[in-house]
Amino acid sequence: MSRLVRHPMILVGGTLLLAVVVASVCAPLLAPADPIKPAFGQRLAPPRGLGGGAAHPLGTDNLGRDILARLLYGGRFSLTLAGCALLLGAGGGVVVGLAAGVFGGRLDDVVMRLADVQLAFPVIMLAIAIMAVVGTSPTAIVSVLALSGWVLYARTVRASVLAIREADYVEAARVLGASQARVVLRHISPNTLAPILVLASSQFATMVLLESGLSFLGLGIQPPQPSWGAMLAEGRDYLSNAWWLATVPGIAISLVVLGANLLGDGLRDLLDPRL
Amino acid sequence: MPTPRLDRRRFLVGSTALAITARPRGIFAQARRGEIIAGLSERMLTLDPANHYSISSTSVLRHVYDPLLDVTNDDRFVPALAESWRAINNTTWRFTLRKGVRFHDGTPFNAESVVFTLKRVRDNTKLIKSFVYQDIDDVRKEDDSTVTVTTKRPFGSLPAHLTMLGMLPPSAVGNEDAFFAKPVGTGPFRFAGWTHGDHIDLTAHAQYWKPGVPKVDKLTFRFIPELSTRAAALRAGEIHVIDRVWPDMVQTLKGTPGIKVLDTPAIEAQRWHFQLGRETWKDPRVRKAVSLAIDRNTIIKDLLLGYARPVICPVPPGLLGHANFGTKPYDPEKARQLLKQSGHQNLALDFVLMKDLYPKQLEIAQAVAAMLGEVGIKVNIRNLEIATAREQRTAGNYDLFFSGWAQMPHDPDWYFGQWFTKAGAEKLTRFADPRVEALIAEGRVPDAKVRQQKYEELEKILWDDEPEIWPYYTVAIYAISDRLRGFEARRDYYVLLHEAGIA
Amino acid sequence: MRGYILRRCWHSAVTLAGVSILVFVILRVVPGDPAKMLLPEGAPQSAVDELNRHLGLTEPLWIQYGLFLGSVARGDFGQSFQYRAPALRVVVERVPATVQLTLAAMVLTVLAGASLGVLAAVRQGTGYDYAGTVLAVLGQSLPNFWLGIMLILLFGVTLRWLPTSGFQSWRHLILPAVTLAAFPTALVARLTRSSLLEILGQDYIRTGRAKGLGEPRVVLRHAMKNALLPLLTVVGLQIGTLLGGAVITESIFAWPGMGKLVVDAIFFRDFPVVQTVLILSATIFVAINLVVDLLYTVVDPRIRYE
Repeated sequence: MSRLVRHPMILVGGTLLLAVVVASVCAPLLAPADPIKPAFGQRLAPPRGLGGGAAHPLGTDNLGRDILARLLYGGRFSLTLAGCALLLGAGGGVVVGLAAGVFGGRLDDVVMRLADVQLAFPVIMLAIAIMAVVGTSPTAIVSVLALSGWVLYARTVRASVLAIREADYVEAARVLGASQARVVLRHISPNTLAPILVLASSQFATMVLLESGLSFLGLGIQPPQPSWGAMLAEGRDYLSNAWWLATVPGIAISLVVLGANLLGDGLRDLLDPRL
Repeated sequence: MPTPRLDRRRFLVGSTALAITARPRGIFAQARRGEIIAGLSERMLTLDPANHYSISSTSVLRHVYDPLLDVTNDDRFVPALAESWRAINNTTWRFTLRKGVRFHDGTPFNAESVVFTLKRVRDNTKLIKSFVYQDIDDVRKEDDSTVTVTTKRPFGSLPAHLTMLGMLPPSAVGNEDAFFAKPVGTGPFRFAGWTHGDHIDLTAHAQYWKPGVPKVDKLTFRFIPELSTRAAALRAGEIHVIDRVWPDMVQTLKGTPGIKVLDTPAIEAQRWHFQLGRETWKDPRVRKAVSLAIDRNTIIKDLLLGYARPVICPVPPGLLGHANFGTKPYDPEKARQLLKQSGHQNLALDFVLMKDLYPKQLEIAQAVAAMLGEVGIKVNIRNLEIATAREQRTAGNYDLFFSGWAQMPHDPDWYFGQWFTKAGAEKLTRFADPRVEALIAEGRVPDAKVRQQKYEELEKILWDDEPEIWPYYTVAIYAISDRLRGFEARRDYYVLLHEAGIA
Repeated sequence: MRGYILRRCWHSAVTLAGVSILVFVILRVVPGDPAKMLLPEGAPQSAVDELNRHLGLTEPLWIQYGLFLGSVARGDFGQSFQYRAPALRVVVERVPATVQLTLAAMVLTVLAGASLGVLAAVRQGTGYDYAGTVLAVLGQSLPNFWLGIMLILLFGVTLRWLPTSGFQSWRHLILPAVTLAAFPTALVARLTRSSLLEILGQDYIRTGRAKGLGEPRVVLRHAMKNALLPLLTVVGLQIGTLLGGAVITESIFAWPGMGKLVVDAIFFRDFPVVQTVLILSATIFVAINLVVDLLYTVVDPRIRYE
């Protein structure tokens, strides 16, 4: 615990993220109005303090819906999506990376070439292609996001495995008769945890950003379901006359990115044995 | 020999002689000056008038090529390269051509050009416009200024289609690639250069056959698909006219000094068509229920900020075939009753949109979803890529499809022929009605009075039957710099700058 | 050493082959009919079928791929469905604009990112560090289009200091480059900071300090050289992003680059253009990363004898 105190970034970052998550979870309690039902009479009302009233503290959007409500419910959606994509991508990437590092040889080659091919492809193209076939359901979006992220985990894990494979204590274990896999699982896995955690925390932010990028291109979740990306996309056409539509979700995304970055940096500082 | 001296007498005689023999045009033609830069929402894809069906490209190419006839903003067909035209009988058109016109490279325009242009677009099926001209049987040159076109079946809309087809010189024969790299037409501007995806440059053609045209030396069309950027360029004084302005941008533009906003009801009707291959939508009561549940006035007033008009006929006002059938009512109570009667109280409806195609379509779709929700219909919005959406439509995989129809070329024959005949609608809405089909065929004759009558009859059937919902006519909004003179806001979304000048 | 180079080249070749097959197959498997996209909405099915025949899309997949490979070998990447001009020419026309934007953004990224990162690391824990973190976060999370449009409104419309859009002069390059560079700059700054911090904590640095070497010398000569390695990696990866992912920036600024070309081509189902761009950009990407890898062996002797 005292170690945590020496790394305030983890606390700040973690608290920030936690606050955002809790707010989203409590969306039904905190939202002042229905996020989905249009109210044509009150389109594009500015936020409180900039000309708007107290009924809609963050203003209303192009269909008259309360922005705060949409922000909270949208946050639920975006964060859940990003979280699932993170778990899926990280999990898949770690497994693949471990396998490639431990077993080496043909498997390693194939995996690395696949990774290279995928990296040479801009994510957007992959997304467009996949979603044209599969549709734009939340499952499809999570899959696309996970697909865009697995490579980094795989490479990180593989690099760690390769580095540690040559280490003395692993040699010793092997000499003593432990099987390859057993050695990996017992000796190697814990040491690769640190970079993975750091990666995951910054990747969370990337997932949120990617989801918003997909929505921007019209490949995200279908309306009227709010998501931060969808709100950004909708707000784009109103930047010159109702800038709060896009700025509000932008700030929310920034807070998440800030929290995730601080958490990641702090974790790295904490877990790195050399510092 | 006495040295010649420019004495006063000689000078006077000489200059008077010069003045008399100089071409009158030099004295009376108005001075051309300046450059106009236009910002268009759609990029150009080709310089071949026969190889595209884009309103925007037609508008740009109209400056380089002339068609046989033009259409005015109040839907009258007027002479361009053809001085007059008439239907000899139901399957024959005769065009009398303007004399003394030359292409930009000096070759004369005559019947050879017309024959070549028409035969080319019919025979080269790789050209995008080819399918329109398949009904042409023969194109015959009677003499240098007369052409006779015979068709396989009545083709009353041929003149209308010809307003979108620029005439090409026969020198393009055989080396089309080279020709279209530096094309030559009879239009008021010459082609100067095209940077793909960025802009196209045109310079004035001094010897244009219409006097006083063009009024500027240089014309540039820039392609700026992003509306905020297009508007920003206009507001910053970098360009002089923009098209396809959305209602929400009007306020900002009006608030900028030096900018004027012009709008006019367009000849485009938004149309949401039902998938008539699905059992649910075969029942006219269900279609009527959906129509009754939609509050069109709210959409026009609140979402489109008044920049739309209520629909009174599938064909917009001004065009051949327009009639007044009154507006469709908004009656959610009656809608619920109809749904109850037909046993569809908990209907699910897939509303497919083509991404980014129509202004505010996503908002409008969400509004409609809310309205239909009030009468117990659950709407599922599917905002798909254009290509994917069209595949889904061919497969019949939708309930309601968000589309529109700009009545190009100022004639409803194509619209009816494509969407309301069995063959045309087979891989689309699956519409089939023998009465309508017969009327469409009968409406193809050249006689305008007969056509009007047939179209009114068939529109009545469609109006009552409601295989589609026509929620509103669109309004074309343009914004111009107040330095621009002589610009007309056109109902067909064309940006035409022949007669425009810059102050 | 030679073995390493040969192996890396072989890997690159396999990657490229994989990309070409993937692109080819994906395009033809994904729903969407190029002829339908070219013809207007009201064109009859017969016209659609006829045009598809003209475009060579009615042949079996493997025949199409074979023909494609054959023509690529001759330098012919097919005819763009949209522009009816050679796809290679259509793509190459966009190269100057793309290269200018990418280079400008990269220069900004390296200069601004490295400087910010160094400043934050050297002044760790102070106001500079926190300010740097906030800036980095903003750079990473501000939507591209938001930044672009705001810059246009501020510098183009209100102040009229810079042109709002288009591809004409070096002044037109400034706003798009800044917009595009925001995200990678933030990444590079963070990476430089953390990498530099790691190194500054290491023994040989402490030795340098103990020996009495001045701080700037320590930082610049000894630390930066080692911090350069991960920087190179990131820059190499970012080029791929900059090339293909500049779509939004190019859309906002009406910049005729390859990003917008390829996304438009995908939505339009212009197969030849998509194939050409993806294969060309993959080639560049692979080539650059190959060069980066080889540079690694120059910079870090430990890797040389793998």
